[in-house]
Amino acid sequence: MTVIIKSMTDPCPKLHDLRRALTSWQPSWHSWQHDERRLGLGVPVIDAVLGGGLLLGAVHELSSARPRDHGALAGFAAALAALINANKDGRQIVWIQHDFAAVEAGHLYDLCGLPLSSLVVVQVPRVIDALWALEETLKCRAVAAVVAEIAEEGSIDLTATRRLSLAARDGGGLGLLLRHRPAATSSASATRWEVASASGACDAFGGLGHTTFTLSLVKNRYGPCGRWLLSWDPHERAFVPPALSLGVAETARDRSARALSARAA
Amino acid sequence: MWLKRLATDRLARCQLAPRDAPFVVVAPVKSALRLVAVNAEAARLGLTIGMALADARAMYPKLGCADADPDADQHLLSAVADWCDRYTPLVGIDPPDGLILDITGCAHLFGGEAPLCRDLMQRLKTQGFDVAAAIADTVGCAWGVAHYGDSSLVPPGIARDYLAPLPLAALRLAPEVVDALADVGLKRIADVLDRPRAPLAARFGANLVRRIDQASGDDDEPIMPRLPVPPYVVERRFAEPIALEQDVLGTIEHLAGELHRLLERRGEGARQLAAALFRADGKVYRIEVGTSAPVRDVARLRRLFAEKLAAIGDTCDPGFGFDVIRLSAMVAERCDVEQVGLATPDHAAEFAHLIDRLGARFGLRRVVRLVPQDVHIPEFAVAAVPAHAVKTTANLAVQVVEQDSLGSIRPIRLFARPEPIEAIAEVPDGPPVRFKWRRMTHDVARVEGPERIAMEWWRDKEGRTLTRDYFRIESRDGVRVWVYREGLYERETTEPRWFLHGLFA
Repeated sequence: MTVIIKSMTDPCPKLHDLRRALTSWQPSWHSWQHDERRLGLGVPVIDAVLGGGLLLGAVHELSSARPRDHGALAGFAAALAALINANKDGRQIVWIQHDFAAVEAGHLYDLCGLPLSSLVVVQVPRVIDALWALEETLKCRAVAAVVAEIAEEGSIDLTATRRLSLAARDGGGLGLLLRHRPAATSSASATRWEVASASGACDAFGGLGHTTFTLSLVKNRYGPCGRWLLSWDPHERAFVPPALSLGVAETARDRSARALSARAA
Repeated sequence: MWLKRLATDRLARCQLAPRDAPFVVVAPVKSALRLVAVNAEAARLGLTIGMALADARAMYPKLGCADADPDADQHLLSAVADWCDRYTPLVGIDPPDGLILDITGCAHLFGGEAPLCRDLMQRLKTQGFDVAAAIADTVGCAWGVAHYGDSSLVPPGIARDYLAPLPLAALRLAPEVVDALADVGLKRIADVLDRPRAPLAARFGANLVRRIDQASGDDDEPIMPRLPVPPYVVERRFAEPIALEQDVLGTIEHLAGELHRLLERRGEGARQLAAALFRADGKVYRIEVGTSAPVRDVARLRRLFAEKLAAIGDTCDPGFGFDVIRLSAMVAERCDVEQVGLATPDHAAEFAHLIDRLGARFGLRRVVRLVPQDVHIPEFAVAAVPAHAVKTTANLAVQVVEQDSLGSIRPIRLFARPEPIEAIAEVPDGPPVRFKWRRMTHDVARVEGPERIAMEWWRDKEGRTLTRDYFRIESRDGVRVWVYREGLYERETTEPRWFLHGLFA
């Protein structure tokens, strides 16, 4: 296959095309191309803050705000994994679970929306093992997303997270580091979130509505931080904005002049 | 091969018994303490097996003695059998103190049968064992010559000449039969070899005739090897023992290359491999690695063994070094060569290799897939199956639970043991209004349920299994949990207890 460079007046697009052609021959040169692919969450407000979505090929940290929010933490991670899996390109999801995390918050059971056939769970005894397994899995290009759940504060410092970021850049998948206790040290991850559960709206019959999270973006390398309320629909496998409760909808009234005159009459 | 004085040698190796003073091992036999094993000095002084300890002490008051420990003797015999694995993979134990090795086809590696025998005996002698060995065509002949004869090599075809002068006990007969034959006047094997067989069988049992046939080669006697014989074995011997880990890995890589050639010729790949490291002073370490798909690629095999050695490397102490390293493929399956596309990357094979590496590092049981089962009890509805055992993921269908809510029906996390909580609820069937979990009180805002799940009455014979009523509860701050009441009020128990089983997202 020959590549023709037509003119040198505009070198940057040609260089980009050349890189892309070379990468399609030689997949191992993918890493220095810095292909910035992102996973859009489907919610325009959050995607705008993130610059298009969560950066693939990087490590993002999630932690739970309070000890009773471990379920919400796992749920958000599973929701992101289900979003990636919806691409259906045959790549798998790996969930690395620290043994103590399973004791503290329970084993994985029914991941909201994520099909169990694309999931492999690795149970590791120590935090160091979890970090090693995370690095190995991030380097593998056949993995779409890795979720590592760590319950104790071990040796996760700046150098460890930087190694993980480099490994994620080689592999190209999404790396999620779940921590049961929010960390105080600095880290080299792309974004840092805190997840808490929130009371969602009822459905029409007074039962439970969609799962609702309160997401706080604490650290963002590519934009501002923020705080949002978000719901997840496991059947559609999509994030939906949280429904307003019926109480609020009822009290909203039309205050325009036409309505006033209609009521007076 | 006969370890003549196994019990006393074991104690002497552990420095519990002196070598140059008489020492015996005793055990209670027929209501008296009798000698079970004697060392060389004691035998020279005239003490025999079966003599009472009191008599022996009367003869020699300063006799040292110890209690018999047959388990420890068997353990040592197994260790020696492991060590003999370096000569041939077919090693069988001949209780109580012998080993049978089948060296067909292995003798040329050592320069012949006689050099093999000499090497074996000399190495065992330096390790402190008193050993006698014999090589023959048949097991019976070798046993007899080792125990009662004095030569060590019986040339093929003339087993009868060597057997003839041996006493009848060399045929591995029961002592009563030997005594009965001695009463009649038959003391040597030569006396029975050429006699008519029917009267012998009628008078002394069919076993006698069978043993004669086995010894002279007319009957076949197979050896029961201790370890299964692998289909592919490659090994490397070193004149100078090696101890560095990178040397060991390099040797394994080289052996994997030879194994690759063997496997490729047959079109097979290995699913389970074992590397045996033989230390120079007798200990043997075995490292096993399993894969989820048949593999014969050298780089992959080296990587798997590197991970395994990194995980268990501390327990493999080289000591003075390893002088034999053997790589065997225990299980091999058909492995066809696939055409790999140039443009499309091969995700399945790479993912399988990742799973193998994680399994080699942490153990194959820690890398699992969640497989839904057709059981209605929540703890068993999803089973964790090791990933390498799951062949295809196509038929992992989720069990359909009736979907009657916008949220999830089943929690994302399930506790292995349901946590007991204190709950205030209406009797008899009402959902909780407030509950206390992990020392925090939660007020209930919304409830869905109950979902009644009855336990399997056919499993519990005493009828103690209690029905559970599950509730999906959302507390006022939004935490969603899966709570159940155990036992129906007034129908099964008077005090139903409440448990928290899972967390929703």
